[in-house]
Amino acid sequence: MTVVRDPSVKPLLEGRGVTKRFGGLVAVQSVDFAVYPQEMVGLIGPNGSGKTTLFDCLSRVQSIDEGRVLFKGIDITSKKPHSVAHLGMARTFQVIRVYRKLTVLENMLVSRQWRGETIWSQLRPSQADTEERARELINFLSLEHLTLEPAGTLSGGQRRLLELGMALMPDPDLILLDEAASGVNPTLVETIKDRIRRLNEERGKAFLIVEHDMRFISDLCTRVYVLNYGEKLAEGTPEEVMEDEAVIEAYFGT
Amino acid sequence: MSTTVTPTRPPAPVAPVSRARWVRRIVLLVLVIALFLIPAITRIEGQTLVSNSLLFRFTQMFMLITLASDWNLTGGFTGYVDFGHAVFFGVGAYGTGILMGHGWAFPPALFAGAVFAVVFAYMIGFPTLRLRGPYFSIAMLGTFVAMREIVRVSKGITGGGVGLTLPPYLNRPLFYYLTLILAIIVVGVMWWIRRSEFGASLIAIREDEVGAEMRGIRTTLHKITAFAIAAFFTGLVGGLWAYQNTFIDPDLVFIESRTVELVMMSMLGGLGTVAGPPLGAATIYWMRDVVWKNFADYHLLAEGAILIGIVLFVPAGIMGALGDRSGTSIQRVWKRWMGGAAGEGEP
Amino acid sequence: MSEFVQAVINGVMLGGFYAAMMLGFSVIWGVMHVINLAHGEFIMVGAYLTWFLNKEYGWEPFAAIIVVAPVMFLLGYVLQKVLINRVVDRPHLVSLLVTFGLSIIIANVLKLVFTADSRITESSATGFWTVSEDITIPITKSVVLALALVIMISLYLFLQRTKTGKSIRAAAQNKQAARIVGIDIDKIYAITFGICIAITGVAGTMISPIQAIAPFQGPPLTLRAFTITALAGLGSIPGALMGGLTLGLLESFIGIYVDKIGTNLAIVASFALLVVILVTRPQGLFGGLRTDEEPQPL
Repeated sequence: MTVVRDPSVKPLLEGRGVTKRFGGLVAVQSVDFAVYPQEMVGLIGPNGSGKTTLFDCLSRVQSIDEGRVLFKGIDITSKKPHSVAHLGMARTFQVIRVYRKLTVLENMLVSRQWRGETIWSQLRPSQADTEERARELINFLSLEHLTLEPAGTLSGGQRRLLELGMALMPDPDLILLDEAASGVNPTLVETIKDRIRRLNEERGKAFLIVEHDMRFISDLCTRVYVLNYGEKLAEGTPEEVMEDEAVIEAYFGT
Repeated sequence: MSTTVTPTRPPAPVAPVSRARWVRRIVLLVLVIALFLIPAITRIEGQTLVSNSLLFRFTQMFMLITLASDWNLTGGFTGYVDFGHAVFFGVGAYGTGILMGHGWAFPPALFAGAVFAVVFAYMIGFPTLRLRGPYFSIAMLGTFVAMREIVRVSKGITGGGVGLTLPPYLNRPLFYYLTLILAIIVVGVMWWIRRSEFGASLIAIREDEVGAEMRGIRTTLHKITAFAIAAFFTGLVGGLWAYQNTFIDPDLVFIESRTVELVMMSMLGGLGTVAGPPLGAATIYWMRDVVWKNFADYHLLAEGAILIGIVLFVPAGIMGALGDRSGTSIQRVWKRWMGGAAGEGEP
Repeated sequence: MSEFVQAVINGVMLGGFYAAMMLGFSVIWGVMHVINLAHGEFIMVGAYLTWFLNKEYGWEPFAAIIVVAPVMFLLGYVLQKVLINRVVDRPHLVSLLVTFGLSIIIANVLKLVFTADSRITESSATGFWTVSEDITIPITKSVVLALALVIMISLYLFLQRTKTGKSIRAAAQNKQAARIVGIDIDKIYAITFGICIAITGVAGTMISPIQAIAPFQGPPLTLRAFTITALAGLGSIPGALMGGLTLGLLESFIGIYVDKIGTNLAIVASFALLVVILVTRPQGLFGGLRTDEEPQPL
């Protein structure tokens, strides 16, 4: 490991021997990883290497067959998806999941944090401060001209931004980004990158990023994990990883 | 009062509608006042106020408005199309009837009946709300059919197929006001829910349940709460109906066409809107009262045909046809189901 | 002991009937993605047609099949062209509501034409084979069971061996691909619907001599068809047999051992079974025609 770190800092997210099988196929095999507070970590690998499956295991829509996942020191291996979200982990999706019939603003409002709330407290209309926060985030993502449009009318890139906003709404500590830049035009990619960087620097958010575009990863991340056929192939700084023989072989074949 | 706009909340997205909104509010107010005055101003030749048949018909309509709004909470907002919703009506009716048979007074018996309906909703909702789409619909239809047979079989408690007779009580103005107030409360509750975060989460569940769960919405809790709220008011209507009818038996109370009616009314009005189900209920009730009662043999037949017609030709309902004027933006539980048939193409 | 054997015999007979009865429902769902809530009503149409021929012309009920099958095929074919084709491949809710409306219409037409009275047809194949003192095999039900097996085997061979059958299976598995290789999907759907309704109508013929029929007896049958489909997996004929027998035996045992209070409780049992299956094994117990069909969010 080349990244020097103060050993007293506990990881924000830690996976130990995480394994996921679909029938006979091992989608994720005994993967160890860690994301430290305020860190930006990349997760790369060829198609079908298990990146999204790993994300699904982390956000608990997929069961974990073996191993354990700790978030903020709490074992989330068998928690429900909403409990994980309540603990402060948010994510975006490779296949965009916005509520298309709700407006951009409503999408944001629905995604706010529900932690510790009862149904009774939700029977009030949205609080002014919640809405203010939503509008502030919409501005931050440069979507203000679309605030009242149904999300279904947005372009692919705009929806990616909206998803990012929805993930930010509950003020999470860790955000999992799944292909946040795919299908997005280059100008918007720069916007997304800039926003992610600012979120990390100004607000101290940690990110775990799945991305095909290596430049996206190397611009943002300090550390990268490489998955191949569900196994961890390499880890290190982006530069190290890109020079790694095994990684080059996995990507370009033999 | 809580029903006025709270200044702390900038009225959700839409800004320039305040005038239309005030007009609508005034019309609504006039309508409600008129409804309150009807018993005082109508006189029918040869009928006293207490036996006034017009009041009886209005009472039926108010009940249907309440039931359709309840159905819409699970079927329209949450997207769980319930083909057995009348089961809560039955539980409320029998709960009230049985307790009154044991000498309870009407008000506590009515309330207890509604509470039974809620308890039943929790029991049945826990397994069935895990099912999606048609599986949920059919499971509820099954619950409904099964409950009718259970009631028929439990002769000791329910009187079985012979039925139960409640203490007769003819007082149409009383039922008129009770059901009117109940209908107003229920529509108000639905309006409130639509504006609340709870309502927004229900819609999020309808649009993308897995995503909603991953974004931290406690989907199970939300679904079952909506289900229980709907069951409570439906149970109340059941109890009121039982007392007004003074007689209940399994075939009267657990009647399939009641659920069909509710589905039809909600859809005609506009699924997932606040104003749609009451509009649909009133339209269908008066159409039936004025037109179809002359063709009694054919009226169910006609309703089947109308249901098909609505599904195929006016899927967004009256509210959908009127555009987005109710201030809700979700008349379109539909379009997701209809695959964009109601106009807007899906990307 | 003899009571047990008798329950098994009754259960197998009932189960065989159920298996044949639900085939049309399951194949329509599997091939066209239409959940036909009017299924039970189509059974009643077949049953009333049989009753009419039996009553007016003194036909043997089972002989009525030669009329019922073609008439029902035609009815299904036309209905598919006029109505069902508009809801094919649309989300399930649409077909649920449309066929729900259809079921109301059919039941009420039956009531107008035949009144709400219960009817039963008179078969000459009555009586019992006596196996031992208290074990008997009712002859009418044996004929029904035999007929059910014939229907299942014929449908199986039809789907596996004939060109039309193969086209139907192709359409079920991948509509687009089937269209590309030159299969006329609309025609295949109309034929499928026709055949399924024909089988469903024949199930009505089968039920008419063993059980009283009435216009509003469709829904419990539809519910059973749904339960068995959930058990069997979509469009699977061996699965249908297994599922039918499971439900038949369950109801028969409830009938013999619990039935001090009323046969209607059987429907409660089948419903409970349905919910348990749906919650635990949404893909069915015995596999099926399609594998890509899963309980989708509407």
